[in-house]
Amino acid sequence: MLSELLQGTDTGAVLIIQDSCSYSGQHLLKSFISAALNKEEPVHVLGFDVSEEELKDGLTASTQRLHFHSAYTDPLGWTNRSAFTVHQFCVEELTHLLKQTSHPKPVTLVIDSLSWILRHMSPPAVCKTLQQLKKGGAVRAVIGLLHADMHQRGTVGSVCHLATSVITVAPGTKGDEAVAKITKRSKLGKVTQDEEIFSIKGDFSVTVVSKTSHAGRRQTEPEEQQMDPTANLTFNIRLSDTEREAKEKLALPFVFSKEKKTALLQSGPGSGRILYEPDANDDYDQEDPDDDLDV
Amino acid sequence: MFTELNSILNATPDSFTQGEFILVSDRQSDASFLIHHFLSFYLRARCKVCFLGLVQSFSHYSAISQRLGVSLTQAREKGQLIFLEGLKESLSILIPQETTTGSQAMDFLRDPTVGLQRLYEFVRSSVSSDGGGEEGVEEWGPPVLLVDDISVLLSLGVSAGAALDFSHYCRATVCSQLQGNIVMLVRCHGEEAEDDGSDEGSEWLLKGLTHQCSLTLHVQGLPTGYCRDIHGQVEVCWRRRRGDGQHTQKKLFQYKVHDKGASFFAPGTSSAVL
Repeated sequence: MLSELLQGTDTGAVLIIQDSCSYSGQHLLKSFISAALNKEEPVHVLGFDVSEEELKDGLTASTQRLHFHSAYTDPLGWTNRSAFTVHQFCVEELTHLLKQTSHPKPVTLVIDSLSWILRHMSPPAVCKTLQQLKKGGAVRAVIGLLHADMHQRGTVGSVCHLATSVITVAPGTKGDEAVAKITKRSKLGKVTQDEEIFSIKGDFSVTVVSKTSHAGRRQTEPEEQQMDPTANLTFNIRLSDTEREAKEKLALPFVFSKEKKTALLQSGPGSGRILYEPDANDDYDQEDPDDDLDV
Repeated sequence: MFTELNSILNATPDSFTQGEFILVSDRQSDASFLIHHFLSFYLRARCKVCFLGLVQSFSHYSAISQRLGVSLTQAREKGQLIFLEGLKESLSILIPQETTTGSQAMDFLRDPTVGLQRLYEFVRSSVSSDGGGEEGVEEWGPPVLLVDDISVLLSLGVSAGAALDFSHYCRATVCSQLQGNIVMLVRCHGEEAEDDGSDEGSEWLLKGLTHQCSLTLHVQGLPTGYCRDIHGQVEVCWRRRRGDGQHTQKKLFQYKVHDKGASFFAPGTSSAVL
């Protein structure tokens, strides 16, 4: 499903990549940018988290159609040199920004990252802007990066609820592999979920290594191959069939098996018996030592 | 400067990666020995260093740096080191006197809600090269910002969001624009809390800074408890890698702090054990 998402999205799509401290979603975001550029589509990037050089670093696709709106150098207007501040994140300003460069093809808007905006603007305002972008015609698709561990679960949930697809990335078991949990909502309301293991190569192309159901099986096979300690020994600890039978028949000395239990409960002939006749001296009552109280 | 740490980080005073944001963090431990390492490292690399010493006095760092072979007083006189003594400056703001002229850097103490814009402006003026044509002014290398430590600002009333904005602006100026380096120390107390998005404390600040940085060094005590010969463990994590090698790389080391340095070794290979 990851390849499908990379190949193309329908109009009015909002894709959110959720990452955390343990694995950064930056590279996957760059893969999406690279895929869009390869399809000769214009891409506008609102850069808050990374600088222009860092974003363009490694992108082999032609960056002619990549327009970077730098909100990295001065997002809050402290140095009065800003190209884009965080408070300009509303539909009017964004439409104005996108209209400055005209394109024959519909634009893909990439936001890196939504977490920066959510720190300074209220979640309802951000959701409203995203919804308006989704419904309006200014952009064809919106791709946003969200650091899920930086916000409350409610905020993350609200923003992802607007999205048509959500990809949650986490580190994988092997070095350069990562796990992506994908949730896709189609226009008719059908929700599909998938989990895939992928790796990103140097040119930001994504290789889907496997789906997780296969990966589980693959992991148990090498484990089973290791489980034969009786091989390669200088002495023989294997059992032949008769030996195995005898071993299983053996009753262990301190195990309380059924036979022992019945033997103890029913005293057999020759075993000791205990005969008891009640003795007056055994009836010692502490509260009535002389046994003469009429209670 | 600790030679073993240099080989772990693949850096020498003559050649080190520029534009790096190094985050030093600790949890219920003390990672300030790493700050002393980086201070002496960058001074030896002839970089222009701006040090925001918010928790200790200048003489404290000076005494330790002397043991590591670097003289802070000399560096300050030559103009290589710009030291903001947070404790002294805060006194001049809290007890204002007519004769005090100090910089506006610690202005956030008057009103913590204003944010750290003034502190950022102080940093920016310190690291940007001024007066290149003056005679007798030595040419220093790329600028370096050291902050010890940023989590104390949370105790002074500054919000964690403001601290993140400050570190973002510093990164934009020092790392991206001037190709310098930043080293920040963040200290966390208590255990790692899950789903901490609501409480904007030091854990949240640590997460935010981790997203911004390119290299983290996380210092913790040993999970098995106190040991006389091993003082703790350091987890080094390389986050952003340019060019090839997109994946993050993590390495774990154990360390012991001596009188004149610290030694780092792979887990289980302490000299006390082998």
